[in-house]
Amino acid sequence: MDIMNEVQEIFRKVFDDDGLIISSRTTADDIEDWDSLTHMQLIVMLEKHYKIKFTTAEIKKAANVGELIEIILQKI
Amino acid sequence: MKFEEYRNQVEKINVSDYVELLNMGRKWKKIEVRPYDIKVGVIGSASIQLIVSVLKVLLCKYGIYADVYEGEYNGISMDVFDSESPFYRFGPSYVIVIPDYRDIRERAPDILADGTKVEKAVGSVAGYYRKICDTIHKKLPNCQILLSDFVEPVEDPLGSLGGNYLFSQSQFCRQVNLELIKYRKPFVKMVDIDKLAACIGKTKWFDESAYFLNKSGFALEYIGYFCEAFARQFDACMGKVRKCIVLDLDNTLWGGVVGDLGYEKIILDPNDAEGEAYIYFQKYLLSLKNRGVILAVCSKNDLKNAKEPFEKNENMILKLEDISFFAANWDDKASNIRVIAKELNIGLDSMVFFDDNPTERELVREFVPEVQVIDVPKDPAYYVRALDQSFCFEWNQITIEDINRIQSYRDNAARAELYEVCDNYDEFLTKLEMQVCWNRISDVTVARFSQLTNKSNQFNLRTQRYSDAEIEAMRHSDQYELYTVSLKDKFSNYGVIACVILHFQDHYCEIENWVMSCRVLKKTVEKYTAYKMIEAAEIRNVDEIRAEYILSKKNSMVSNLYDELGFQNITETENKKEYLLTKEKFCALQKRMNYIMKEER
Repeated sequence: MDIMNEVQEIFRKVFDDDGLIISSRTTADDIEDWDSLTHMQLIVMLEKHYKIKFTTAEIKKAANVGELIEIILQKI
Repeated sequence: MKFEEYRNQVEKINVSDYVELLNMGRKWKKIEVRPYDIKVGVIGSASIQLIVSVLKVLLCKYGIYADVYEGEYNGISMDVFDSESPFYRFGPSYVIVIPDYRDIRERAPDILADGTKVEKAVGSVAGYYRKICDTIHKKLPNCQILLSDFVEPVEDPLGSLGGNYLFSQSQFCRQVNLELIKYRKPFVKMVDIDKLAACIGKTKWFDESAYFLNKSGFALEYIGYFCEAFARQFDACMGKVRKCIVLDLDNTLWGGVVGDLGYEKIILDPNDAEGEAYIYFQKYLLSLKNRGVILAVCSKNDLKNAKEPFEKNENMILKLEDISFFAANWDDKASNIRVIAKELNIGLDSMVFFDDNPTERELVREFVPEVQVIDVPKDPAYYVRALDQSFCFEWNQITIEDINRIQSYRDNAARAELYEVCDNYDEFLTKLEMQVCWNRISDVTVARFSQLTNKSNQFNLRTQRYSDAEIEAMRHSDQYELYTVSLKDKFSNYGVIACVILHFQDHYCEIENWVMSCRVLKKTVEKYTAYKMIEAAEIRNVDEIRAEYILSKKNSMVSNLYDELGFQNITETENKKEYLLTKEKFCALQKRMNYIMKEER
């Protein structure tokens, strides 16, 4: 499975929406429940899944799905 | 979604599965509208949004549908010290207060501060939190407060030296926690989150990045554990407590099978690693007994073989007199457990089962689902941990009655012998030489009052539950009179075994609550209690006494109590019966209360 699909699975789990489709340009504005709290859950789940750790700066900065994936790719 | 369906889903989730818990939190809104069971306020200095969400989920597991007020971020003092705050408008009956060590770190004493200065710094911080609790109590006198202690931080600028000085940051936190315990009031319950964090491992518990980003007091992964620690307290407050552990023998209390090896050869030698593990487990069980947990044995064995180690093996920590009921036979364990419950007069849902054999555990789970079955690990070295971490004996308080109870179960054998030699039941009661005592609630008995009132299920006329805070409030109100009944006989001192709440309004007195311990059934205590209640009503010169029986799942044994005592039944519905006793009848009824005991003043 490519990384976009894997990340999408995690998004679907966090937002409890099996039909959710994301792209690298998807931002918090596109998903209603994407707030600071769900953002935190996303980060924790991505960290668990890829066995990586985001830095505070990366979490603060990542504005869309593409940037998140870019950070993940650097770390795995 | 129906509440029950939601609850079933929650019951399947492990507290470590924070993802599923957070998902269930989002589904909360989908529960069909129903009346709330309780109102809970959560206030704290760190971020509490997700805590509130998961707490609501976990409370469902205990059958509680809670309306929860979520305090503002860092808003403890805004909510508490402003008497017009939304927090007070919400009017919670339970409040959870979650402070964080980062709130008080700056107030630690200076390096090299002397003892007096350290005490002052500790006193001032603990005093602030006491003031918070006192202020809430003043404004909401019926409110029960659950206060988390401070999780002592990992870092200390003094390094290992911190362990040597009272002024160090880590010792400061520790002293504040101790001070909070020292001056704890009955309306405050401390919840030991520091211990929880230590069990998990503090370097994992704290996540500084999450604190800087979201002001999370701890790593999100542990939110289930955190909320469960509080949710459990509500379960105990609602009267659901377990009080008896049913133990297997072979490979549970000792290694090997006594029927094959004989009492001398079972594995129980303190010089053997495995033997030591069993001894360690027995010592833990003995400590449970000493705090008031009833020990019972349920083993597939010949009775003689099963008892021999208790009588003859000198390495045994547990003796026969520590075991309140001993079942060793070849019947199935589910039936045996029912017998034990009946003999000890306790509910199946107050029992815990500990057996190394997975087949027996499965059988008990299936046929007596009310019993809590411990997942026993293969290695006896970890028995204590498995039992301890199951948190099955979470009580709200410890009382002297808990400790004495075990003795009174044991004395039942002596009572049975006495009964054998009596010609009739009244003679037996006379020979028991019972002495009874009717008292207003006092500082000494208030904890027991709360416990009995909230734990009793069978002899309980209305099954109302009260927090310690509510009891305190009634105790100091002119409208209420709270009484305890204590009993002793020639064999044991039972202590407080019945509690009554009388509510005086206008011209009448209402029996708002009446509970009694099932250990003293059929001893005419209820007649004595009725006599004294009428007397209390006479003193207040009321025209009538009103009483009520509300049917619950467990209190059918008292469904006709008021009829039997001679109260007049005025209305009756499926779940409720109302009674009346008018002034003219007080005296006649008192004469009928032929209790067979001496009154002690």
